[in-house]
Amino acid sequence: MSALEIPNLRKAFGGLEVIANLNLTVPDGERHAVIGPNGAGKTTLFNLITGWQPPTSGEIRIHGVPVRQGRPDLVTRGGLSRSFQKNMLLESITVLENLRIACQAFHPSRHSLLRSRTEFADVIRKARRAAEQMHLDTCLDRNVNELSYGQKRQLEVAVALCAEPKILLMDEPAAGTSPDERANLVKLINDLSPDLTIVLVEHDMDVVFAICDVITVLSYGKLLVTGTKDEIQSNPQVIEAYLGQHHA
Amino acid sequence: MSAESLGRKESEFQPLKLSTSPDSRRVSAALFVLTGAVICALPSFASGYAMTLAIEVMIAGVFASGINLLIGYAGLVSLGQAMFLGLGGYGIAIGTALLGWPLWVSAPITLVVVAMIAAAIGAICTRTRGVEFLLITLAFSQMFCGAAIKLRWTNGSDGMSGIPRPDLSRLGLSADSPAVFYYYILTVSALALLLLWRIVNSPFGSVLIGIRENERRVMSMGYAVANYKLGAFALSAAFCAVAGILQAQYTYFVNPDSMSWQVSGEGVLMVIIGGANVILGPFIGAAVFVIVKQALSLITDEYNLFFGIFFMLVVAFFRGGILGTLRTLIGKWR
Repeated sequence: MSALEIPNLRKAFGGLEVIANLNLTVPDGERHAVIGPNGAGKTTLFNLITGWQPPTSGEIRIHGVPVRQGRPDLVTRGGLSRSFQKNMLLESITVLENLRIACQAFHPSRHSLLRSRTEFADVIRKARRAAEQMHLDTCLDRNVNELSYGQKRQLEVAVALCAEPKILLMDEPAAGTSPDERANLVKLINDLSPDLTIVLVEHDMDVVFAICDVITVLSYGKLLVTGTKDEIQSNPQVIEAYLGQHHA
Repeated sequence: MSAESLGRKESEFQPLKLSTSPDSRRVSAALFVLTGAVICALPSFASGYAMTLAIEVMIAGVFASGINLLIGYAGLVSLGQAMFLGLGGYGIAIGTALLGWPLWVSAPITLVVVAMIAAAIGAICTRTRGVEFLLITLAFSQMFCGAAIKLRWTNGSDGMSGIPRPDLSRLGLSADSPAVFYYYILTVSALALLLLWRIVNSPFGSVLIGIRENERRVMSMGYAVANYKLGAFALSAAFCAVAGILQAQYTYFVNPDSMSWQVSGEGVLMVIIGGANVILGPFIGAAVFVIVKQALSLITDEYNLFFGIFFMLVVAFFRGGILGTLRTLIGKWR
């Protein structure tokens, strides 16, 4: 069974069609990039997959289960987690507390009213592990608003990983980072479990080629082509629409 | 309504650390014990007037703490929490004065009924945020206030009187004695504060803080955010109802004015003055509110005008409230 199946997906805002009859299948364990120029519908696609926006028509299935629209929490509980293009962190609390709250979502204690949040050592251990995984273990007690931009991007991914997803959607994880931070982030993502299915939206083609095996190119909501790195790099339509001669 | 819409940056909210330094814990503990000792010993050296003020401060503190659970922890600003203060007062009045039930029966029933009413109202209100949430809570509050004015069996705008204080005769005490009633109010307030402290430091409380910081992210983490907001709304209502019960026992009386939007607004002012997101903030805010208002009323009949100026000064120079500012200053000093 595929990790993600999207048959005939369409999304329109009034008369503007943002996603036009998109068909996409992502097998388990694949590292799949979705690229395209601004306005191609990449982030809308992520919002549809995660239940933030309802499709105009078509369906999205995660491991065969249709996505319930309007309930992003259930999508996460179904094994699909995402990081956001613009940082969506709990800014005025600590890194550890961000991760602890994220880990707690899957712990029976999450509804507990009368016990201290620090009592649940297993939740804190899991949060620390997520921090270590993304090399944030040295700044656990720092407030998120004290972190560098690159660290915030790492925390975005770490928070998404706390859900122990089977599928991870990353929306431009390297956007706005310095070359060093970008290289570090690519290494951290490549070190994640090979069983994890990754769907990545990214403008930086070096990041895409360093992480992903399969690439889908969108243009104005339409699927231009899906193929391997080599196929994409040599596709004349893609070169003309998006890559330019530099990556050919 | 978010922290930003309260006129503060999110960064001004204090960090929620999992641990604090031993020094700060020792200083906090010493201050806490000292303040506790003064409060406990108050009836032995204070005048009757000072005790009356202290009782009013504690009741207002419980009310404002209930509001703070919504504002400071869940990021929801309500202008309707007085409806639950009033419902608490009416509930205890109906139970004890009208039906003749003992307090230990009337009070729990009142709290459960108020929490259920709040859950029903909250199911509608918590679907909104920001100004919409503020206005819809205000509308519900005015609706209940209007109903209380019209209802004959609760004596309409005259309200209900003859609400008894707790029967402490088995302990050889009378709650009509100012000192005994003071300790009764102190005990209930301390228990309410302790319970609130437990809640905000619980896993549930940390999710509320997450919702205040970024609701979308918390939903993406896998939390059914609507349920947490509804829970916070019902809990907040129950705390406000406790204050309503105490208020009714203190004055032996309840009337529709206790549900007015002005009372809700005063509760919000107390939270802002003392400091939202700080557990003792609403009590400090209540103390400042009650004492400054009393002091100004002794000087001039136009005390509301001067209180308005005082409030503006607090908002301008104590961003984050009195406790929030103190905490920031202590942090800088270290």
